[in-house]
Amino acid sequence: MKTTLLENLSDRYQDWALFKRILFYLKPYRLLVAVAIFFLFAVSILGLAGPYFTKIVIDDYIKASRLEGLDLVALLYLGVLALGFVCQFCQTYLMQLIGQKVMYDMRTQVFAHLHKMSFSFFDKNPVGKLITRVVNDVEVLNEMLTSGLILIFSDLFTLAGIFCVMFYLDWRLTLVVCIVFPFLYLATQAYRTRARDALRKNRAHITGLNTFLEENLSGMATVQLFHKEKDHYERFEGINRDKLKEDLRSLHYNAVYLPSIDLFSALGVGLVIWYGGGRFVQDEIQLGVLVAFLQYLQKFFEPIRDLAEKFNIIQTAMASSERVFELIDTPEEIPNPKQAVVPAEKIRGEVEFQNVWFAYKGDDFVLKDISFSIREGESLAIVGATGSGKSTIVNALCRFYDIQKGDILVDGTSIQKMNKYELRQQIALVQQDVFLFSGNILDNIRLGSPNLKQEEAESIAQTVNFEHFINNLPLKYEHDVREGGSNLSLGQKQLLSFARALAVAPRILVLDEATASVDTETEAHIQKALQELIRGRTSIIIAHRLSTLKHVDKILVLKAGEIVEYGSPQDLLKKKGVYHKLYNLQADVAEASSTKTPEK
Amino acid sequence: MIPEKIKPFLPFMAKYKREMAVGMAALLITDITALVIPWLLKEFIDLLPDDPSRSHLLKYAGLLFLTSAVLAIGRYGWRKYMFGPSRKVEFDILNKLFAHFLILDKYYFHRQKIGDLISRATNDLRSVRDFVGLGLLILVDSTVVIIGCVCLMVWINPGLTLAVMIPLPLVSILFFNFVKEISKRHRAVQEHLAKMTARVQENIAGIRVLHAFVQEENEKNKFDVLNQEYIRKNLRITKLFGIFTPSLIFTLGVAAVLSIWLGAKAVIAEEMTLGAFVAFNGYLMMLSWPMMGIGYVINLTQKGQSAMGRIQEIFSSYPDIKDGPAGEGVADTFQVEGKVEFGNFSFSYPEAETPALKHIALTIAKGQTVAIVGKIGSGKSTLAQMLPRLYEGSREGEILIDGKPIQNIPLLNLRKGIGYVDQEPFLFSMSIRANIAFGNEGATSEEFERVVEDAGLEDDLGRFPDGLETIVGERGVSLSGGQKQRIALARALLKRPGILVLDDAFSSLDAETEEFILKKICARMKQVTTIIITHRLSIARQADQVIVLNQGEIVERGTHSELFRKKGIYSTMIKSQSLAQQMEITLQ
Repeated sequence: MKTTLLENLSDRYQDWALFKRILFYLKPYRLLVAVAIFFLFAVSILGLAGPYFTKIVIDDYIKASRLEGLDLVALLYLGVLALGFVCQFCQTYLMQLIGQKVMYDMRTQVFAHLHKMSFSFFDKNPVGKLITRVVNDVEVLNEMLTSGLILIFSDLFTLAGIFCVMFYLDWRLTLVVCIVFPFLYLATQAYRTRARDALRKNRAHITGLNTFLEENLSGMATVQLFHKEKDHYERFEGINRDKLKEDLRSLHYNAVYLPSIDLFSALGVGLVIWYGGGRFVQDEIQLGVLVAFLQYLQKFFEPIRDLAEKFNIIQTAMASSERVFELIDTPEEIPNPKQAVVPAEKIRGEVEFQNVWFAYKGDDFVLKDISFSIREGESLAIVGATGSGKSTIVNALCRFYDIQKGDILVDGTSIQKMNKYELRQQIALVQQDVFLFSGNILDNIRLGSPNLKQEEAESIAQTVNFEHFINNLPLKYEHDVREGGSNLSLGQKQLLSFARALAVAPRILVLDEATASVDTETEAHIQKALQELIRGRTSIIIAHRLSTLKHVDKILVLKAGEIVEYGSPQDLLKKKGVYHKLYNLQADVAEASSTKTPEK
Repeated sequence: MIPEKIKPFLPFMAKYKREMAVGMAALLITDITALVIPWLLKEFIDLLPDDPSRSHLLKYAGLLFLTSAVLAIGRYGWRKYMFGPSRKVEFDILNKLFAHFLILDKYYFHRQKIGDLISRATNDLRSVRDFVGLGLLILVDSTVVIIGCVCLMVWINPGLTLAVMIPLPLVSILFFNFVKEISKRHRAVQEHLAKMTARVQENIAGIRVLHAFVQEENEKNKFDVLNQEYIRKNLRITKLFGIFTPSLIFTLGVAAVLSIWLGAKAVIAEEMTLGAFVAFNGYLMMLSWPMMGIGYVINLTQKGQSAMGRIQEIFSSYPDIKDGPAGEGVADTFQVEGKVEFGNFSFSYPEAETPALKHIALTIAKGQTVAIVGKIGSGKSTLAQMLPRLYEGSREGEILIDGKPIQNIPLLNLRKGIGYVDQEPFLFSMSIRANIAFGNEGATSEEFERVVEDAGLEDDLGRFPDGLETIVGERGVSLSGGQKQRIALARALLKRPGILVLDDAFSSLDAETEEFILKKICARMKQVTTIIITHRLSIARQADQVIVLNQGEIVERGTHSELFRKKGIYSTMIKSQSLAQQMEITLQ
């Protein structure tokens, strides 16, 4: 099952298509690329000067036994080397600069794309996998661009350059040497198809190995609790062995192909000795030319060898690029409308659900025909059992998921017609599980409003009853919050998340009440802060505490995705339905606690 | 280069010493034949002025081809027998690494980031492989070629050799300074990359909050700063490389100029033949690669060493949790019956200031059901995790199972006898069937069907596309929290444990379903000691014993009705809970 999926993936992204896409990233830097290629070209050509100088020295000086001018030739050669030095520096630097810029672009793109993904994407993809995409895979791609692709260019230039020089020196000799090429071509083809197959399979095995490793490291406790160590070791070893097999196979192809190039090279040199030597004897060719020819011929096979080695690097990078592109190609599930309705600077905060239907998957509707409306400044409490769809209403309002049927209006405008970012800016969401970011308390309060002044933050903290907590901390607002807020208590995290929400001065407040119990004192603080929070603000509260219901204007009772009761508390009381029962429960508790107090 | 540093590699290489010896021999043959070729060309060129016959020339061509054939065979040999073992060493180390991961405990995986461990098993391992294969190859190759070339050059013309060698020490000097600086800059890049990784990690973990607060742009900007800094740090390395590589080529070029210039003079002065002049140049050309190779080798060795160091770090970390010393242990045939005793047991997590459990004294008879309740952070889960020995820090007092100290029971037998289900169970990306049968592949189909039924999974299975064969996880169906928890329960039940620990195992289920499942399990498993950690106090009603924990201490204990009458923490909790409970029931 797994392997077929992997193969499908490779089918979707053909090597050539991937290659073109990677090249596409070079487009913004085409001028730089052109300059770099110019330098590359210069370096390759200047690198060919050596044998030519040897030829000049032999034919013009040694053979003629002439000393004057020889110093000049040496000086000229030195000059060429110095020029090569400069060109090579420029080329290396430029190439790396381009590579780094491309990597920067790609990383920015991947990161930005991640932020475009909807919640359902993050439901499905583990954090570790996404990190690897942004960090490691992009890194590998850069390696391919700078050391793989670019050196290929340089190798090709060198090849072409040598061929031209040889042709210029003696075209007949060159043609004779050309006899080798068809064989070289055949050998290369035979190698390429086989090596490619081995490398592709190897790539699939590496992916499988890493997946298995990652999964087992994450679930190690489970493996150990069920004493599956031996079994999993054997499976791992099996995959590893498959990988080794392909490794050795591609190694074998290299071991056969690369030395075969030596044979072709020797064949070429042999031809030069036999044919060229004969021509020299007949005085048709100069000795220097022959020597230069021999030297060039040896240089000629170096790039070919090099290209075969590069093949490996490129294949590895292809695997990474496949994964990066797969992520970039994941479509944005919740696109912004092309022409968004521009909302007023500050919206009023009217919310209306019109016959809303929603399913996370298929026809399994979690919300069925939900309609309600909240006027500006009103508060609505939603109550319902676990899984009745309470949180889904909130997620739909923020457009974290798109609804299938019906419409959601804010200030009379459908939210699908609004810019989703502007929409979310008007809504402050307090989630049940508070996630805090590393930084200090002040940074966390400022999360949604980075320009908030310290005094403003302080007054907000005061409003939500968080002030005395902060003042008890040694560094107060500079107190360091670790990632996830692991060093703060539950109540503290709650209050901090209130402050964070209030700091954006939202028109609409959405609050998913925490279910976890905190001590009575903190509970009282939270309840008081809650009242401050919803005052004068359109609010939707997913209520888990009956006491919360006392402070709201409207109540909505959900059951399995449907509204069973909806209205003002007074109306609902008269109805003698679910809310009425809840109300009585509340009264019982009030009675119970009032009888309990005297005992204390 | 210093044997001390190479030591960690040796045991892995020893296994393939024969192959490597063959490879080494092949490499020597290659190098020596390679040195022959310029000499043949020298002979050929010196022959030319004597007007050699065609057949004579053919003889040279043939000789050259023959030498090259030997060269090719040599090259095939070292590729196969020097790179081959390096792949096999990689294979062995990776297997050993995985085997070692399998014995490390939960605490280790808590401290180490999984991404980091994977990077050691992949990237670092690649560096080790490169050192073992490529590094060794270049080391030997460079040494042989340099010595061989220099000797032959001296043989041809000692004076010229000396002159040509003048610029070469520059290469080494250049190199040593370069390596020092480059590793410094490399480290800066690595550190920055780690910083970037951490940022991405936090971003993804908190993405729901970031999106709710519309922080996309802000986060992108923050990331951008890091990203740009990263590029800047990388380019600092590039500058160094940009200067280094051309300088190397330039230095070698200067040597070539000297050889042509002085060589030509020597030939004209008839101090050497033209063929010798060409051969001399040929050997000088052959030197350029090994000169660079030395640098490469230093680089590979450095990388390989630090990578091996990081891998060794994993090998040298041992689990705190392991079988007790032999002799004191309980027999391998031991089976958990179900009696549990905590004897004045205290426990602290490593590096924690206050103990997580304080003076726990608790006896649970075989077959009893105990409910442990308390606020978040009161130590309930810690207590539960002590039984399968998932954590171990500093401890006082003891835990006995069936009268035996828990450390003395072989870990395998202990864990076989305990079914532990936690709040966020881990499922593997296999079929649901394979997940339930995990560790108990031999279970009969009746047993299998019964646990599926007991865990209340039947209805859910009907809704999945392939029923029990549905694949779970990334490439398959994503399960709800409640489904995961029930599959994990079925998995634990199939073990037929003596002790069943349910650590808030039904937090994602509604109260009704939880009660339904628990009733079924308790009825079915009268003989099994069941420890239930829960926030839902209604569950506690059915327990034989209720334990209330607060800040790591048992503050109340007794049956539900006893505690309820007591009007302590438990009864307060019950009251507020039952309200929520009734609210939930009303809303159902």
